[in-house]
Amino acid sequence: MFTALLGRLADSGPAIHVAPLDVFHIGGLTITNSILYGWITAVLLSALLIWVTRNVSVRPKGGVMQFVEAGADFITSLVENAFDDRKVGRKYVPFFVTLFFFILLNNWFGLIPGVGEAFRSGDHPLLRPFTADLNGTLAIGIVTMIYVYAASVRESGGVVNYFKHFFIGSPLNPLYLIIGLLEMLTDLTRVFSLSLRLFLNVTIGEIVIGVFSYLGHVVAPVTALPFTLVELFIGALQAYIFTVLSLMYLAIAVNHASEHAHEDHSLTGYEPSETMGQDPGQVGEARGA
Amino acid sequence: MTFADAINTAVIGKGLMIGLGFIGPAIGIGLIGGNYLKAVGRNPEAAKFFGQALVFVAIVELFGLLAFASTFIVK
Repeated sequence: MFTALLGRLADSGPAIHVAPLDVFHIGGLTITNSILYGWITAVLLSALLIWVTRNVSVRPKGGVMQFVEAGADFITSLVENAFDDRKVGRKYVPFFVTLFFFILLNNWFGLIPGVGEAFRSGDHPLLRPFTADLNGTLAIGIVTMIYVYAASVRESGGVVNYFKHFFIGSPLNPLYLIIGLLEMLTDLTRVFSLSLRLFLNVTIGEIVIGVFSYLGHVVAPVTALPFTLVELFIGALQAYIFTVLSLMYLAIAVNHASEHAHEDHSLTGYEPSETMGQDPGQVGEARGA
Repeated sequence: MTFADAINTAVIGKGLMIGLGFIGPAIGIGLIGGNYLKAVGRNPEAAKFFGQALVFVAIVELFGLLAFASTFIVK
């Protein structure tokens, strides 16, 4: 009896998809609903940012532009302050600003009513947020970490110098060797932690909204609204966190490299990387005061 | 008819996984938020570290989400 009851409840439950579903095929490639929506978002994002850069002016304008400008300014100052040398940080601003806006827009576009179950091709939903697909977030994570690794190798001046950072002493010492190898291993898990966090946050948001609009039945918009608003906040937060964490990975490697270059006076004026996001001068003042 | 036949134990397992899995991150996020406010109360200049507190919230939160994701394995 229990099984029959639970089975009936499960049958009429809300439609929840964790995996993306096929929409159509090009040649041998399967195009899923999430990548289709990802393309749409990428085109819209490019159009928006090109329009904003064309119309940028000294006197501030209202509307969408001011939000884009505020976001770009926020990430720019974040990136520049993360590095010991602001000039080094300036080189990496475009990538992180793009990353932030891409994730933010993908998260928010997934919350538009109608994305999901409303439009269908066959019996599959046609659209699905790109970040609610593990393949999508894994792609973002891999691209980001390849960029971070390439930039850290370039900043530390060669692959050998970069690998030296993992070892606190000579690699010939077996203890330091094992610690260094473990450090490398934990470094590789960053791809998965970054992409899993983004994927799970967005997917669980979708599921929660789906469940509460199912529970609401006729008043579905009313019951789903609070959770949509929470997801709006979480979408922005996750975009910020993804950007900051990948930035931190890069900043730690780069600042470490510049410390090695000036090893002589690093013993006295040593500023650990926990001052990230702060101007080193400010921290000094705060301590002096 | 045994107990396991009468009740879908996978549902109980999933419920326990989600419930117990979310307790830890909830405590962790509470500790982070509480300690952040404590720090700001003692030294209002520490309010600028809010962004870094959020980063730690994200790190803690991942474990709860992993518990949630694992429920899809239980059949």
